Amino acid sequence: MKLLLAVWAALGIGLAAKDTCLDCHSVLDGKLQAPAAAFAGDVHAKRGFHCSDCHGGDPNAEDPQQSMSRAKGYLGKAPRTAIPKVCARCHSDANLIHKFRPQQRVDQLALYQTSVHGKRLAAGDNKVATCIDCHSVHDIRETRDAQSPVHPLRLPSTCARCHASKQHMASYKIPTSQFQDYQTSVHWEALAKRRDLSAPSCATCHGNHGATPPEVSSVAAVCGTCHVLFEDLFNKSPHQPVFAAAGQASCIVCHSNHAIHKPSTAMLAGDASVCAPCHDKESEGGKASAEMAGLIRRLDASLEKSDRILERARSSGMEVSEALLRQTEAKEHLVKARVAVHAFNPAQLRKPVEEGLAIASQTYSSGEQALVERDRRRLFMVVSVTMIFLTLAGLWWTIRRIEQNRSVIP
Amino acid sequence: MNWLLGGGFTGSVLSFLYPVLRFVNPPAVPEASVNEVNAGKVAELKPNSAKMVKFGARPALLIRVNETEWRAFSAICTHLNCTVQFHEAKHQIWCACHNGLYDLNGQVVSGPPPKPLEEFAVHIRGEEIVIARRA
Repeated sequence: MKLLLAVWAALGIGLAAKDTCLDCHSVLDGKLQAPAAAFAGDVHAKRGFHCSDCHGGDPNAEDPQQSMSRAKGYLGKAPRTAIPKVCARCHSDANLIHKFRPQQRVDQLALYQTSVHGKRLAAGDNKVATCIDCHSVHDIRETRDAQSPVHPLRLPSTCARCHASKQHMASYKIPTSQFQDYQTSVHWEALAKRRDLSAPSCATCHGNHGATPPEVSSVAAVCGTCHVLFEDLFNKSPHQPVFAAAGQASCIVCHSNHAIHKPSTAMLAGDASVCAPCHDKESEGGKASAEMAGLIRRLDASLEKSDRILERARSSGMEVSEALLRQTEAKEHLVKARVAVHAFNPAQLRKPVEEGLAIASQTYSSGEQALVERDRRRLFMVVSVTMIFLTLAGLWWTIRRIEQNRSVIP
Repeated sequence: MNWLLGGGFTGSVLSFLYPVLRFVNPPAVPEASVNEVNAGKVAELKPNSAKMVKFGARPALLIRVNETEWRAFSAICTHLNCTVQFHEAKHQIWCACHNGLYDLNGQVVSGPPPKPLEEFAVHIRGEEIVIARRA
């Protein structure tokens, strides 16, 4: 116990023998009681921090005049512009924070000051998000706690509280459709439907404490954090210098930003083609996109055909596991061909497509052979059953004849 | 007596025909689950090398990390089901489709894979290597 107290004393926190702030506020009404009620679940309370660590004052004094005395360092409710610095008193102190969590970062304030929120707050805009708007206040939880507003599954709706509010965003003149668009995306599907906590959400692309929209020139690098090969191919493609010169935001031009849908060959050719606004059908670019779409569709169709015949063979009880294994290899070539689209050169698609087609052709043949073998086995079965019944019928007829002959003999 | 013989004969014919009909028109059953496969002999793999093994209708990646340490994983990338391979220079598992990287515990190091590779248990029985699904 003495050791524990010594450690606590060394941390310089939680030295209050009692907490009169909680004692009084827990019996008050309404909004004066709410902070005390919420604080029990707060990560700071669990780590031994007290109200006075943020609000100042003397938590040992019974008299409110004393406990909330400015002379005793009482700060009261911090103004919004002061909140980041209040939190940073501890969160920027590596010596303190690392005693609780050795790997915890301590640069949140520095990052916040580079963010759009931080810059606007510094300029006196009180409406922008500060620490408590995302992390909440008095019931702050660790990010990994599913009840935390910044838990990966809850983060998009937390950002949307402000960013989807037309009223809140009116003075900034920025769109409010991001959350709605994001909810149609493949990233949302992975996050919300498949519960994949590593799926990208707002902070993955914009940063968290240093939240800033990616600059046009850095969009490919942002997407390339996960989609590494796409970035490599794009950067070597003829589109890169053209997009850079035109101030176009690379990936976003074709895939959009928040409403990123599952890509398909319809993006390359046809009415919904994303190439069409820049490349006329008869132009070199138009022909290249049509050729790439054709190559992918050919392999896709061939794989589907093989899938169907292999499934028929498998469900008929035939052994086609080797062909199914080869089929996964062929599908891999389809994935590679789709990646190769980002070189915007049909020649780079031909190799994976041809390799995939060759395998799909072999697996189709395997499926066909399996079905031929199945039909042969069925035929032999029908013939052998027929022979057995004919034999039985013959035996029955022979016995009957013998019995008839016996009855004729006097 | 005739009733008994007739019933027995009809029952025998039906019990003979049922498996025949089931052979001709098999019921739809999911793929049989494989729990263990023989992955070859110890001498076939040098340290810091790997090979693909058929695990049912799916590929598995068997890695010999060093003289005594072996690892085996499902070779299907958790991103888009491509087949992963062992990257000898990096000592990591690599997916060529989207450059996903896993460490030798199957955990994601970088790239888009959302979750680790399924790990199999490796048993050395004399000279034989057996990989098995973990319980």
